[in-house]
Amino acid sequence: MGGGTLVEEIGAHARRAPQETALVWHGEEVTYGDLWRRAGRARARVADTPGRGPVGVPAVKSPGTIALVLACMLERRPVLLPSATLGKDVLEQLYEQAGAVPVPERPDDDTPDDDTPDDDTPYGDLGATRDTPADLEAPVLLLTTSGSTGLPKIVPVAGGAVDRFTAWAAGAFGIGPGTNVLNYAPLNFDLCLLDVWTTLAYGGRVVLVDPDQAMSGRHLLETMERHDVHVVQAVPMFHRLVTDAAREHRTTALPCVRHAMTTGDALPGPVLAELPRLFPKARLHNVYGCTETNDSFVHEVTGEQAAAAAALPLGRPLPGADALVVTDDGTVLEGPGSGELWVTTPFQTSGYLGAAAARPVFAPHPTGADDRRWYRTGDLVHRGADGALTLAGRTDFQVKVRGVRINVQEVEHVLLAHPEVTEAAVLALPDEVAGRLLHAVARRTPGSGLNSLTLRGHLARGLPRAAVPSVLRFTDEPLPRTSTGKVDRDRVVKDHFTKEN
Amino acid sequence: MPHAQAIKEFIVEEFLPDMPARDLADHDDLLEGGVIDSLGLLKVIAWLEDRYDINTDEVDLDPESFKSVAAIEAFIADASRTRAEAA
Repeated sequence: MGGGTLVEEIGAHARRAPQETALVWHGEEVTYGDLWRRAGRARARVADTPGRGPVGVPAVKSPGTIALVLACMLERRPVLLPSATLGKDVLEQLYEQAGAVPVPERPDDDTPDDDTPDDDTPYGDLGATRDTPADLEAPVLLLTTSGSTGLPKIVPVAGGAVDRFTAWAAGAFGIGPGTNVLNYAPLNFDLCLLDVWTTLAYGGRVVLVDPDQAMSGRHLLETMERHDVHVVQAVPMFHRLVTDAAREHRTTALPCVRHAMTTGDALPGPVLAELPRLFPKARLHNVYGCTETNDSFVHEVTGEQAAAAAALPLGRPLPGADALVVTDDGTVLEGPGSGELWVTTPFQTSGYLGAAAARPVFAPHPTGADDRRWYRTGDLVHRGADGALTLAGRTDFQVKVRGVRINVQEVEHVLLAHPEVTEAAVLALPDEVAGRLLHAVARRTPGSGLNSLTLRGHLARGLPRAAVPSVLRFTDEPLPRTSTGKVDRDRVVKDHFTKEN
Repeated sequence: MPHAQAIKEFIVEEFLPDMPARDLADHDDLLEGGVIDSLGLLKVIAWLEDRYDINTDEVDLDPESFKSVAAIEAFIADASRTRAEAA
């Protein structure tokens, strides 16, 4: 990239290589030239959005939406990308808290570009992007955090942070002209900074997965094979879907993949163990990040680690990023031990917008050792004698059961380490006698005869006695999940642990 | 083992509801195997008191006595003998 902003670089590709493919959507290719013209046409729509503040663009995945986001960038208006699945009331609150105005409806903007084959708009002559230099501290994207309940938190990301991020990601995963990158995540996800925005900034080709087909492992495999995908970054659910489908349909391997990243959650050991076979030529990476800081750590998985199906370390902080392990009493842990992970990155937000701004999650260094702004991740980590950090769960998943402190996610990880368990959720629920008791539900692999005697034995070998759930239920159905692919714990309670069940 | 079937049915219903009683072996270790914890032990003892009329105040309550179906069977036999001797 030539040192310009994201949108300037995309414009530069449109001028230099207008016939190169920028996006693949439902098998159709959209060139950089097409995308740039569509962005140009959408500018009027953005300009018609009242005010000078953020513009709301529902994150319905399509080339038209991506063009609209570019149009907002050209108009120097921050874009709020709310999830396409939010309810009307939540959406209204979100707009209010962001001070955003939804872009006026004009569905004809989504007509494919081949309607206008004679369009002779000169590439790059779309107005005054370079008239005044962009303020790199000004937000360009307003991301939103996930959450199964309540209002998503609004996370502004400045132009400079986006550019620093895309520079890192393009270098780390070899993204440039000729690179095909799969985009699995919905457009409102921070993951798109890599799949969509880094790829476009550096002249690669984004293969967009339609969220309506995102649960079909077979479709995902076929898409990667047909479009010769080189780079894939996705949540563990994706990797489970594709490894399951590969087994069922006897797909031997996808040698086209050069880099496969897992992020957002712990990857179950049995899924990890299958990845080297599915992606035989790929380097596997465990990427850790939060919407608030964007990617913060990366760990390249070794063959031995994959074969051992073990929990993966977080790896090294990215260039310019830094991490602290802070114990309950606010001490910065230097040696081995456990504590909350604090992170600072060159890509982080300046803070939440709206009501969430009051949350005390951005803080100065606990001992005043530097003047950077640190983000308290809420993730519990363990630092081993070798200095490697591993995730131990969430601080908010720490529960006390009969006087013993237990992290329910550690119990989930042990359940998931059983080869016949594909999904698991563990919750501490009120009990008349004991105060609280651990309840677990495990989904078995198809056709598995796994019973609770066997699985309890597995748990008892891997956990302290007090952490073995008192109630253990099986299901052969998928567990309910939130839009971000995480287990929806409230619905698990309703579906599996109410009186009728 | 006259009580084995009843013990298995109770254990399975209470702690292993997804499996049939016949899949539980006499010597499966219920403590090491994570089936019965301290709270579960109280349930087993309450059931024994109720069903076999055992007064657990009079007998030694070592968790090892409840570690398997066979051990519980032996516990019932011991407790019945103690009661017979006391009578």
